[in-house]
Amino acid sequence: MTKSFDVCVIGAGPGGYVAAIRSAQLGLKTVIVEKEYLGGVCLNVGCIPSKAMITAAHFLHRLEHQAPEMGIEISGKPKLNMKKLVTWKQSVCDKMSGGVSQLLKGNQVEVVFGEAEFKDSKTLKVVGKNVDDLIQAKNFIIATGSRPIEIPGFKIDEKEVLSSTGALALDEVPKKLVVIGGGYIGLEISSYLQKLGSEVTILEAMPTLLKGVADADCVQVVARKLKKSGVQVHLNAKAKSYKATGKSFEVTYELDGKSEKLKADKILLTVGRKPNSDQMGLKKIGLKIDERGFIETNSQKRTNLPNIFAIGDIAGQPMLAHKASHEGVLVAEVIGGQNRAYDAKTVPAVIFVDPEIASAGWMEDEAKANGHSELKIGKFPFGANGRAVSMMEAEGFVKIIADAKTHIVLGVHIVGPEASNLISEAALAIEMGARLEDLALTIHPHPTLGETMMEAAEATLGHAIHMIQKPLGGASKSTGSTSTAARVH
Amino acid sequence: MATQDVRLPDIGEGVTEGELIKWLVKEGDSVSADQPIAEVMTDKATVEVPTPYAGTVKSFKYSEGDMIPIETVMLVLDASGGGAEKSSSKKESKSEAPPAQAAQSAPAARTSQAPVTAAPAPQGGGMDVYPPASEIHVLATPATRRLAREMNVDINQIQGSGLAGRVTREDVMSKQSPSSSGVNAGVTAKANIPRPAYKGVGGDLEERVSMRGIRKKIAENMQMSKHVIPHFTLMEEARADELMKLRSQAKSAGEKYGVKVTYMPFIMKALIATCREFPMFNASIDDAAQEIVYKKYFNLGFAADTPNGLMVPVIKNADQKTLLEVSKDINELGAKARDGKLALEEMKGATITVTNIGSVGGLYATPIINHPEVAIFGMYKIQERPIFVGDQVKKAHFMNFTITCDHRLIDGAVAANFMKAFVSRIENPSHLMLDMI
Repeated sequence: MTKSFDVCVIGAGPGGYVAAIRSAQLGLKTVIVEKEYLGGVCLNVGCIPSKAMITAAHFLHRLEHQAPEMGIEISGKPKLNMKKLVTWKQSVCDKMSGGVSQLLKGNQVEVVFGEAEFKDSKTLKVVGKNVDDLIQAKNFIIATGSRPIEIPGFKIDEKEVLSSTGALALDEVPKKLVVIGGGYIGLEISSYLQKLGSEVTILEAMPTLLKGVADADCVQVVARKLKKSGVQVHLNAKAKSYKATGKSFEVTYELDGKSEKLKADKILLTVGRKPNSDQMGLKKIGLKIDERGFIETNSQKRTNLPNIFAIGDIAGQPMLAHKASHEGVLVAEVIGGQNRAYDAKTVPAVIFVDPEIASAGWMEDEAKANGHSELKIGKFPFGANGRAVSMMEAEGFVKIIADAKTHIVLGVHIVGPEASNLISEAALAIEMGARLEDLALTIHPHPTLGETMMEAAEATLGHAIHMIQKPLGGASKSTGSTSTAARVH
Repeated sequence: MATQDVRLPDIGEGVTEGELIKWLVKEGDSVSADQPIAEVMTDKATVEVPTPYAGTVKSFKYSEGDMIPIETVMLVLDASGGGAEKSSSKKESKSEAPPAQAAQSAPAARTSQAPVTAAPAPQGGGMDVYPPASEIHVLATPATRRLAREMNVDINQIQGSGLAGRVTREDVMSKQSPSSSGVNAGVTAKANIPRPAYKGVGGDLEERVSMRGIRKKIAENMQMSKHVIPHFTLMEEARADELMKLRSQAKSAGEKYGVKVTYMPFIMKALIATCREFPMFNASIDDAAQEIVYKKYFNLGFAADTPNGLMVPVIKNADQKTLLEVSKDINELGAKARDGKLALEEMKGATITVTNIGSVGGLYATPIINHPEVAIFGMYKIQERPIFVGDQVKKAHFMNFTITCDHRLIDGAVAANFMKAFVSRIENPSHLMLDMI
């Protein structure tokens, strides 16, 4: 059957479904094509389920390690029922995915399940269980995302070698887990599986964890805590191969030129993701794809074929759900005839490790590279924040990078409790072009974690209240870079 | 049978309206998608506007000579049968052809084919977005950035009046309304010029014609340039006998390729070579940033006299082209300029301009620089003149040249040295071989 639409969205992840809804809101006749599940990787095998697992693991961890200190006595050790946890996690995913389904339906977006392939730049063939359609649309939005990368010697089969998808589906906690790749996905899964009882070893090929992804000071806090909790981290370690030894495996890796071995019950491969641009006949119809596999787009996310747009992971870094959603809205509005272009200053990033890392704007070297030769940098520790201490989550800090002359906030890097929820204020500050004074002079309610943002701005200006800053008496002229934290109350 | 509105698409950067020159179809004509339906003249160029739909022309909404704002309905079609188009709402017509692209694909198709590049079709310029996205250093809130976009204002060109150069809502609004006083009108903005009225005698003794289209744009550009740039012109003559010999050989060689070789390409090549020695001639001043921008590429504009007025087509990367290729470009672009068929792309991005008033007449002229360039080079008629060789009077040929410079960047002595280096190339054209790439 041939069907015609104004807009055809391919891929129902956080980019695609958002684009479809906004298209429909604008009165465009819209169809969305999805091969697996509504909500995509994010809602089904990514962001959301991993957060469910992280929450549960953290809960367990607090029961074991923090409850007794707070005077909560539990007879015996808290016991984990992994099968029940997985069921609950799945219910979270189903709820969210069901929500997407309702939203699409409510906005009269037609949903077609099947594998898509372009026949030409104006026609999409979709084949599914009960579907064999030709979809013709005036505009296509490609939002088919990315998938995990493999490395030689390790093929993802989701039984022995797992991707994030397989790891999230585990209904038994592996005794020994070897994680190849210390990026944010590897670290998030490592952290929660360790808390659920795995012995975790991370093999990272680079000299630091989260290389280039997060502020080095923030990473240091997390690395220290990982080590303390018993996670083994081997840096500069290159995984080479593995073989079965009885029921478990032996992973061979190279460290300082020497070959080393490790035992593992499961291997988790998280060395990155690549765009799915090799699928759907995208090359065949003449779409321009760059050497890293991203579809090339202009600032309206339009490809070289004027009726085709690309958003999300497949259209470039950073591969983050919220960037995809933002682009989804943008493209729908462009198609709807509105003048829009991508001009956001920052895509905030969040890493759900322990403690959480979140950032918005530039790191120091980026700020310098962008012409801000003189910076003011200040930090405020959660250890001096009443709410953090009363939550027994007092590790980490808020770090602010600002232009020394104009005091305009250029970057905010947080490591600590609820960093993920705190970063939005920083993103707003950067988008608004706020100055340190704007953050410092906004009354933040007490006692909250949010006060750390205000105090970090004060610290950057050289005069935070809940921290002793030297030189004493130098509030107005202090550079704010030297400071010692003091705990108050 | 359903009807289908055809709107005037967005026909280029900053263009808000166009003058309908000519309908290319008649009522009752059946048209196919992408067929040109009208010639529309904007302040930048005359473009053929295609219809995104097929159908039968039902009615015209404008007559020839009318100004049409972009995005308004110019023509109504009876949608052709076939059952393909379900046409109803106005949204329909927008979603069919995203506005920027329909327009740009038309001029792109006319771009003179570059001899080297492969795939010409997709890269035609359909990827340009106007206004361009706000650059990272621009200080403005997300809402202000969007306001600028919706008002078709390039926020990157605004010098913000707020703290640390922050662009405020008011800054954006004042860009749009022409009545606003230029409180913070940076020099990058359109010059704020007085508009004195002229009270004529009226009656049949005078005829009033509205100043619009290309004429209006020429006026604005000239006024802008004179407002911003302190001009000075240096004049010189050069013996042209050797150049004439060389050119006449090249001319007959060019004929074999069907290319007419004039003096202009030689002048251009000598100019490029001289600019390499004096990079301040192939530059711009970024007034907003208070920076001088030296350009490492050479896009040569050349003034062309056309029935519509002065046009300046641009030979892109002229330094990388052979004399023959430059000749060919000059011929093709010149012809298009005269026919009013230049695409916007073909008039953008010149780094220095050559004007050949001499082909018409005049001993010398003092041309106006094509802002944001910093120099314009004039070439004039070759004339026979008696000269002394010893005590003998002999016949010689001379050609006059002028270089008009932005005195903010180029000093008089520099211009004189520049001209000296240029003249030596013209008088000894074999030296041009040394500059060959």
